Amino acid sequence: MKVLKLKYVGQTSIPIEAENITPDRVAGKQISEIEKLPVYEGNKQRNVSDFFEISGDVAEEVGEQVIVLEGDTTLVKYIGSSMSSGKIIVEGNAGMHLGSRMTGGEIQVKGSVDDWAGAEMSGGYIRINKNAGNRLGSAYRGSPEGMTGGIIVVDGNIGQECGAFLRRGMIVIRGTVAPFAGVHMNGGQIFAFGHVSKRIGASAKGNGGFIACLGGVEQMLPTYIYDSTYKPVFMRVYLQQLSENLGVKEAANFMDAQFERFSGDLACGGNNEIFVASC
Amino acid sequence: MSFNFNGVEIEDTFAEGFSMWSSRIIVTAINRKWANIAAQNMTGFATSVIACDCEAGIEREIPLESTPDHRPGTAIMVFGFSKGKLSSSMLNRIGQCVLTCPTTAIFNGIPKTDSDEMLDIGKSLRFFGDGYQVKMRMNDGLGERVRFWRIPVMQGEFLTEELYGAKKAVAGGNFLIMGEEERYTLEAAERAVEAIHSVPMIITPFPGGLCRSGSKVGSKYAFLKASTNTPFCPTIKNTFKGSNIPEKVNSVVEIVLNGLDESSVRRAMGLGIKAAAGAGGVKKITAVNFGGKLGKFKIGLKESLEVP
Repeated sequence: MKVLKLKYVGQTSIPIEAENITPDRVAGKQISEIEKLPVYEGNKQRNVSDFFEISGDVAEEVGEQVIVLEGDTTLVKYIGSSMSSGKIIVEGNAGMHLGSRMTGGEIQVKGSVDDWAGAEMSGGYIRINKNAGNRLGSAYRGSPEGMTGGIIVVDGNIGQECGAFLRRGMIVIRGTVAPFAGVHMNGGQIFAFGHVSKRIGASAKGNGGFIACLGGVEQMLPTYIYDSTYKPVFMRVYLQQLSENLGVKEAANFMDAQFERFSGDLACGGNNEIFVASC
Repeated sequence: MSFNFNGVEIEDTFAEGFSMWSSRIIVTAINRKWANIAAQNMTGFATSVIACDCEAGIEREIPLESTPDHRPGTAIMVFGFSKGKLSSSMLNRIGQCVLTCPTTAIFNGIPKTDSDEMLDIGKSLRFFGDGYQVKMRMNDGLGERVRFWRIPVMQGEFLTEELYGAKKAVAGGNFLIMGEEERYTLEAAERAVEAIHSVPMIITPFPGGLCRSGSKVGSKYAFLKASTNTPFCPTIKNTFKGSNIPEKVNSVVEIVLNGLDESSVRRAMGLGIKAAAGAGGVKKITAVNFGGKLGKFKIGLKESLEVP
């Protein structure tokens, strides 16, 4: 793996749109070419070198490229957007749309991210070590499908409407979850280990999708009906994967847990499932 | 022609293996007892395709830390003459013996990368859910996606993978243990079966791994397509013309083994013969073949003993 370092040195208070910061766009290029890649400061086109000091090595193959972002990148948007392979490590925070529409590869953010992280992603893995904003892994306004594949794991708390229009893939939240998680979801899985706020699964259709609440739920919608309390074997398969492959160690504590099964949202004729751990 | 191995006469002949399709499933349950009950039921009446729909057996017990749901598991291998026969046998047997067995779940035991075909067993099993089955996907973002089906049952839920790997495999590995007394052949055969099962991906489909009747193609009765292996029946050794029973041999036991590939069957046969020869009281070991007319795999006893 070749590591390319981009140190943020910008002084602007205007968000930067940096869709070119992906392994796909930098692999196989000279550093001088990377410096000239366009980014946007508001509505003005600039170069990468206007905001970043670049050092390190460039890989020939996309899959061999690691990009490390250093400095305060809180205002840098679209990091890793549409990436297909390779890896990005953000040492601090990241702006909106991180990993949006990505199809593969891995992004690790050691700080927090703003809204729309992983929006409409179809593959790959995003790991956020602190908090995430609203509309994590969701659909953009007007789109019929949100995330259609891949995994997002947030070690902290998240904002509203996480997994909106989720179609496939998995979102794991180890902290608290704001209202409307899984709104309109039609497949996929959401695991919440912290406390989940109101209106989860509103207008969810189902299609094999479910939300697992392992840290309690503030309120269930009246359009979800309670079916049974049992120990689902399939949950063990997921929890084992979370614990062993994704480092969500607390998942192992729920291997033998009882779950209450709710199905809905009856308001839209859905058969989505919500499992609430009752241990 | 024969040679001596640890004081036991080994006939320099071969077992005639033939090609079959095989699949492997892992049955898990709440504890070892129920995993084994399901496995025993599913592999019942599956000793030989002479009269059974398939050949099946328990391959090994799997510790809970190595199964996908971290519950005790038992691996089963099923052999059929075609993909279609294998598929229908598995579907029927899983549907009647595993789906019905409390707390069980099943998983594919041959990864796609090692398989020649993927059989859509779970895809068919799902219809038992009568419309309430739920699909489930794993490995998004981590590797190749795997689909499961959750089928509601009275006791809770039955979980099955959608696809099961199948591979062209080898059946018909065998050898015969001849001894002066029944107790010697039984002890030797039990030791042989234990040694055989140390090789992965091998089953011994007969009761306890042993076949005491043997079998030969056809009989004097037109309605019977197979009969006991009379040339190897000691009680008629001086009555049956052309008996293959040596002097002082009064008991013969056959061990039949199927495996995922020829080298595994050869290695398992070698280990089995070595274990049997070391048991004491064994006079001779030979194998059954049809002169190469039945199957394409000739697994020589001598060659099998040379496998480390």
